[in-house]
Amino acid sequence: MASKPILAGYRILDFTQYLAGPSATRLMAEMGAEIIKIEMAPYGDPSRAFPYRKHKRSAYYVQQNRGKKSLCVNFKDGRSREIVRDLIRESDVLIENYAPGVIGRLGFGWEQVRAINPRAVMCSISAFGQTGPLSHLSGFDYIAQAYAGVTAVIGEPDRPPSLPMLAIGDVTTGVHAAGALGFALLDVHRTGVGQHLDISLLDCYFHHHEVNVQAYSASGGAIVPRRAGAHHYAVAPTGIFRGPEGYIMILALLHQWPVLCKAMGREDLIADERFKTNELRVANQQALIAIIEAWLQGFATDAAAIEALQAVRVPVAPILTVAQAIEHPHHRARGTVRRVSDRMLGEFDIPGVPLRFSAHPELLELQAPLLGEHNGELLTALLGYEAERVAALEQEGVLVAAAH
Amino acid sequence: MARKHVLEGVRVLDFTHVLAGPSCTRLMAETGAEVIKVEAAPAGDMVRQMPALKNGRSGYYIQQNRGKQSLCLNLRDPQAQEVVHKLAGEVDVVVENFTPGVMKRLNIDYPRLSELNPELIMCSISAFGQRGPLADRPGFDYIAQAYAGVIDMIGEENGSPYFPGLGMGDVSTGAHAYGAISAALFHRAMGGGGQYLDISLLDCLFHCHEINVQGYDGSGGQLVPHRSGAHHFAVAPLGMFKGKDKWLVIIAIGGQWANLLKVIGREDFLTDPRFADNAGRVANKQLLIDAIEAWLQTTESDAEAVRILEENHVPVAPVLSVPEAMAHPHHNERQTVRTISDRAFGDLKIPGVPLRFSQYPEFLPLQAPFLGEHNAQVLKALGYSDDDIAALAAAGVLASEPLPASA
Repeated sequence: MASKPILAGYRILDFTQYLAGPSATRLMAEMGAEIIKIEMAPYGDPSRAFPYRKHKRSAYYVQQNRGKKSLCVNFKDGRSREIVRDLIRESDVLIENYAPGVIGRLGFGWEQVRAINPRAVMCSISAFGQTGPLSHLSGFDYIAQAYAGVTAVIGEPDRPPSLPMLAIGDVTTGVHAAGALGFALLDVHRTGVGQHLDISLLDCYFHHHEVNVQAYSASGGAIVPRRAGAHHYAVAPTGIFRGPEGYIMILALLHQWPVLCKAMGREDLIADERFKTNELRVANQQALIAIIEAWLQGFATDAAAIEALQAVRVPVAPILTVAQAIEHPHHRARGTVRRVSDRMLGEFDIPGVPLRFSAHPELLELQAPLLGEHNGELLTALLGYEAERVAALEQEGVLVAAAH
Repeated sequence: MARKHVLEGVRVLDFTHVLAGPSCTRLMAETGAEVIKVEAAPAGDMVRQMPALKNGRSGYYIQQNRGKQSLCLNLRDPQAQEVVHKLAGEVDVVVENFTPGVMKRLNIDYPRLSELNPELIMCSISAFGQRGPLADRPGFDYIAQAYAGVIDMIGEENGSPYFPGLGMGDVSTGAHAYGAISAALFHRAMGGGGQYLDISLLDCLFHCHEINVQGYDGSGGQLVPHRSGAHHFAVAPLGMFKGKDKWLVIIAIGGQWANLLKVIGREDFLTDPRFADNAGRVANKQLLIDAIEAWLQTTESDAEAVRILEENHVPVAPVLSVPEAMAHPHHNERQTVRTISDRAFGDLKIPGVPLRFSQYPEFLPLQAPFLGEHNAQVLKALGYSDDDIAALAAAGVLASEPLPASA
């Protein structure tokens, strides 16, 4: 018998919307948890309206919400809160990413949740955290990114910062939350007591400064992190070089520098006074870039240049477009890109599941729910409501459903 | 007795170096695990040489390795492999981020270690994963970013892509690994046994494409993701706007669109057919940028513009430099930025722990190890005598650096 998925038997009450929270519960759904997504009537998760849409169905929504059940309720009606209270009693985790304070006003802040179910783990995801002077602000990925000092280090020094055209912060925050939730569940398993997790985009973004924070602090401000266009401001050669056709990423850290010199047939550079240390290579970066790019232009194709560097194991990569990455044989072979089939949208590609477990090599068959698709099932089968009571709640607009 | 943190009692054998793997085991150490970091003799983790350096000590190393024990071994020596085999029986988790194949050559790969400890959870972190055409390539964050279609999405439309000046792929991959290990440990606690985890930078970076992959494929190639400098290619207004002093990020989607127009005094746009929907606003983006920047120039300062936009519920942020972010009162109150004290380096600011557990509100007092600092302690616990340990050190199987007098 194949073993059950890792989180089989665990029930997650999911109040999240947009991206950061749904990324966390997406991973948990892929690991087999039962996710009950609470969507606010009448429209549900706002991402249901995000592009690309076909047959009124959003591929954005489908990507993040496969394998979840949808319960769509009208929070203006007190009876909806009764339903949620009943669900909290039956759930292991409650996760939300409203602006701080909102979930408390709905009646489901941490103190209220633990009173209903002392074993529950609650995870709040927000832009700036539940505490601190910015915590009251609503925020999106790029807002937290700007406050984390991340946006400022991307772009040309004399041009506006450049916007990374994908939501690295939302997804990584969801991943941080999923990691913390797993360990908090392990803690409940050992202690029998739940707890509250406060995860923010700001903290998670800030966590990615591997050099900038400690180097600025430790050097007493002598090293000032700054954007430097196509190249690293503190390490050279490390950056994006012009190849014979397009752009090529090359990194030659301390021990790879002499290897790169040899590959270029320029052993003389190893002893060159301008390039002896990393600091000197940074100071003479323009000369260094010119030498490397001149050498690259000697190749007929980018692929030939990349091959030459790979042969001596200097880290190198072509700068793939999204379209090229989707079609790359490695990405396909590994399931980094994955084809799914939605009941309404049909087949299309989404990023695969980046968590791979040897005991569970097969990916689960999952479908993204229609709005309120599981209203009836959850209330009758899970909470034991009478069919008539459910019908009345539907009739009176406490429960809402729609075919998209 | 009170528990120290969620991972108290979990022991981790950590073969990781540089950033992606150490980010994972950093989070494990910060949440209470006992982490034994195996460093390759003679020099150990290469980031021990990375800036900022002071008193021979690396701020880079300290940031990622606080709270870990250092065991410095010559892993090519069978006696060192024997130490690892013994340790494998005593730990819950092994994490490594060598290029695929290295652990097998050292005779310490998952099949070997799981024979010794079937309950073991082992996590391999690599640039491209353990299988597939790219698997044997060495890789760093930016290499995987290039292959993941991430770098191509950053920069001016007609210029070179830009280099993101921080290790987002490595740290995100470390956090992914932390999540997977947590689920695997939980699964094991439920009786599910040990297993092997294959985590790659490529997968984790690709996972961050919230729009690009489904947008390109779902639209049959009509929506072509491309870098577009300071503004989003598919959503407007969303981007970097020139303020009175510096740059501001402003986002106005959904109901925020009307709020923004009220603030900038351009309510006429509400009924302008060119701006009727997001697609129209993207097509006429420059007109919007001009109107928003014109208003920003009438404000007294960026701080004033931020205040007005916040009051009207339009998402806005100043683009803080790293030093400004480190000095921000919110970041300090919340300890998003945190000052730690290293035994050799002294005081140092590092990013704080982004995982906050209500049961364990206090940060643990952790120190980054000196190279091989815990050699004797770890081997003694395995039953090696003082003489055995001295002999292994003399034979170069164990290596260490001298502790400074102050430690």
